[in-house]
Amino acid sequence: MTGLRHIGKSVRRKDGPDKVTGRAVYSEDVKLPGTLVGRVLRSPHPHARILRIDTAKAMSLPGVKAVITAEDTKGVKHGFVETPRYPPDQDVLARGRVVYVGEEIAAVAAVDQMTAQQALDLIEVEYEPLPAVFDPLEAMQPGAPEIHASHPKAAIEVPYANIGGRTTSGWGDVEEGFASADYIREDRFESHLRTHGYLEPHVTIAYWESERLNVWTSSMGTFIKRAKLARTLDLPYSAIRVHKAYCGGTFGGKIDLYAHEYCAARLSMLTQRPVRIVVNREEIFSAYRHGQPLIIEIKTGVRKDGTIVAQQMRTINNSGAYRGSGVVVIFLAWGFTMIPYRIPNLKYEGLSVYTNYPVRAPQRGHGCPQVRFAIESQLDAIAEHLGIDPVTIRLRNAREPWEALPNGDNVHEAGLIDCIKLAAEKSNIIDHYGKGRNASGTIRRGIGMGVSGYFGGSLIYPNGSGVIVKMNDDGSATVLTGGIDVGQGSETVICQIVAEELSLDLDDVKIISSDTDTTPQDIGAWISGMTYVTGNATRQAAGNVRRKMLDLASSRLNVDAQSLAVEDKVVFNRNDPHQRMTYREIIAYSIATKRGDTILGEGFWRTMRDEPAHPSLATTKGRWSENYAFSCQVAEVEVDIETGEAKLLKALTVHDCGFPMNPALVKGQIDGQVSMALGHAFLEEIITKDGFTLNPNWLDYRMPTIHEMAASDDADVITEQYVVGQPYRTKEVGEGLVSGILAAIANAIYDATGVRLTSTPFTPEKLLRGLRQLEREKRAKN
Amino acid sequence: MLEARSAQAQSPAAVRSRIIELTVNGERHEILVKPRNTIVEVLREKIGLMGTKHGCEQGACGVCTVLLDGRAVLGCLTLAVECDGKSVRTVEGLAQGGQLSPIQQAFLDQGAVQCGYCTAGMLMSATALLERNPKPSIAEIKKALEGNICRCTGYNAIVAAIQQASGQGVEPVMR
Repeated sequence: MTGLRHIGKSVRRKDGPDKVTGRAVYSEDVKLPGTLVGRVLRSPHPHARILRIDTAKAMSLPGVKAVITAEDTKGVKHGFVETPRYPPDQDVLARGRVVYVGEEIAAVAAVDQMTAQQALDLIEVEYEPLPAVFDPLEAMQPGAPEIHASHPKAAIEVPYANIGGRTTSGWGDVEEGFASADYIREDRFESHLRTHGYLEPHVTIAYWESERLNVWTSSMGTFIKRAKLARTLDLPYSAIRVHKAYCGGTFGGKIDLYAHEYCAARLSMLTQRPVRIVVNREEIFSAYRHGQPLIIEIKTGVRKDGTIVAQQMRTINNSGAYRGSGVVVIFLAWGFTMIPYRIPNLKYEGLSVYTNYPVRAPQRGHGCPQVRFAIESQLDAIAEHLGIDPVTIRLRNAREPWEALPNGDNVHEAGLIDCIKLAAEKSNIIDHYGKGRNASGTIRRGIGMGVSGYFGGSLIYPNGSGVIVKMNDDGSATVLTGGIDVGQGSETVICQIVAEELSLDLDDVKIISSDTDTTPQDIGAWISGMTYVTGNATRQAAGNVRRKMLDLASSRLNVDAQSLAVEDKVVFNRNDPHQRMTYREIIAYSIATKRGDTILGEGFWRTMRDEPAHPSLATTKGRWSENYAFSCQVAEVEVDIETGEAKLLKALTVHDCGFPMNPALVKGQIDGQVSMALGHAFLEEIITKDGFTLNPNWLDYRMPTIHEMAASDDADVITEQYVVGQPYRTKEVGEGLVSGILAAIANAIYDATGVRLTSTPFTPEKLLRGLRQLEREKRAKN
Repeated sequence: MLEARSAQAQSPAAVRSRIIELTVNGERHEILVKPRNTIVEVLREKIGLMGTKHGCEQGACGVCTVLLDGRAVLGCLTLAVECDGKSVRTVEGLAQGGQLSPIQQAFLDQGAVQCGYCTAGMLMSATALLERNPKPSIAEIKKALEGNICRCTGYNAIVAAIQQASGQGVEPVMR
């Protein structure tokens, strides 16, 4: 990566100055004259029939401009997944029945917040409560309250109730594999419900004006929002403009369509005025989409040397009351199982089970933290049984570069082995491991390791990204991208690529992003592929501009284009640097001689362009990604064995993201994921009872504060490179790193205490229970 | 929680408004407010300063932190009427003459900004800290920022930014 001026450098964020001065415009900052306040009426029951809705009193309240219920919608359903097997299943407003507490039933638009709230009080809804079910295992029992009919195919295949979807996969012969194993271990792991914790609440402003809908909304992808609004509102895509707004954190929780977005749009269409809906934190906690608690049953067979010979796994997902991304998680759980380690024989089954909880969404890692916690915990237990250290057993099974995965993907220059070796060396885990358990005193130290792999980009609407680079008359450039910056720094990286390809200063590149009217379509910030997909489209667009300018200079200077070089907005003859043209001159020359042509470049990229669609969610058949990132993380924890309190002292992340385009932005992703993982491990849990959330605020639901900050070291294993004018392969870094460190924390707690926790979070209660159990076992032995 | 809260008891028209005097970032304002209006509402909706964000509106996240007579307060829990005759500083008041303040610059240099939603509140808490304690220790930084949640950065870069701004030997990592 020599000779690069911008790529690989920690340049400051393009959006930074606006964000530190308060100028950056978020959805909540959009102010339009005459804006009405929208509010949403939500179900107070986890499961009930709606017998009657009467909005007459609300409608007649002075200041109320519109009230909508399911009757005022087009009846078009939507869903995170919309495939022939899994068609959309969710109404934008409940029709006839509510299936979770907080489900949207009606919405009002009024002149102010108080009037809107008062109007909600005046909507009369008569319910007939129905039996509800919250535990997925209970929901699966025949005779359990039926939330929706089970998926027709799954219903034939498995004798359970409330099955929203099923994934099966495997290869080899697990029975034969287990028969050849020297040691077989079976475990069961459970994870818990956590919120994404984005600080900006959901805010939507919609304004129907001159037969067009303008929308500003907190989102991870404006093009998918446009598509879903168009379908549910029955409008052409061209009638909707989703404007750019900065987004105050997402972590998976602002993708897909939300009912309030539909309601703001519909209410604006009815009132012909802007309508603004702010979803407050209590509503987000109680009724919005969170992550997905999984039950993971796993049986693994190994040889004496620790080589995995067979693995059998069953995942049960509590998917909430609609399909949501539940059927994706049970597919992904298979994927996150097979990426890092070679498994010669695998049998996998994932079940997504309806319960009377709010529908679920992706959440940073989308199942990966849960899966790696299970697999890495079990692997450590196996290693201990076999008398192997945690590094050796991982190296024994880690995938080599250029291995083909069983689904046909290739891991390319996979850096996993180097990640494990470097992490072992930097942390000195082998020397420290096993000491904590035998230490004296009440404060115990422990160290643990976790490995993970993550896909980067896959095929899901809109499947590809386009980018336009426009040259301005003064030789500066403007880049138009649909890619949205949700904090990860995509605007900065896209500008770095343009500046690198065109040999410009970063200040010479301006960016216009994520506006569905003025920028080309983009995959969005939710499939871990923007640096690769949108980045390569950007590189291609800028490359086309460069080629055009070289061709123009070649014809004007009468020099072969091969002999021309580019530096500081000047094209010159390498053999005779006096022969030169500035960008400004080239652009003027183009306009003068080519019928007014200014210089524009287009670029497009799609991952796996020979692959028609994403893999089957039901069978996992088909290719998934061409960019696999790998990581090995080490956690050092401290446990107070008197109180059971544990904390993360230090995290080490060694990872292969290909190459870091902007090392400081990559570091920001690592630190943020370590922090999120320690929240997952120790602090955060949504507590519910009968479908109601008992801790719907940040005082009762604890997110990491600055006091929980852990030291976070990192190292890159560089496996790819960036060459100007060439396609590049870079890998994911924004969500795969919650997983290894969560697993490492669990393993470090075991190392410190001898207590193997099989469910998250790692609370003092669970740790003390484990310690007491160990004491009892010790006494029994003596 | 989801039970609709009755608003009938205090219909908006029934509550008498008051005029308050505020100095915001050095400029004097006379503003008509309802007793229930918070300072963050008044800043955003009456004065048009949108840099201070609404967070949880329950006093738990620190997003809406502003300085009231130099002291960091939660904008969502501070009524505008309490600020009558006082001086308020917001994120818009930090840069002087187009020049970022050292703490703003340090946030950029250290990568302490990602989504940017906590940033205004963080900057105000950090500014209050540095004005009363020009060389804070890490423990003092943590104490001053304990009410400001950041979900993106894990806080490491934010601590480094405050150390950089207070001249404690931390060099910029971004250029």
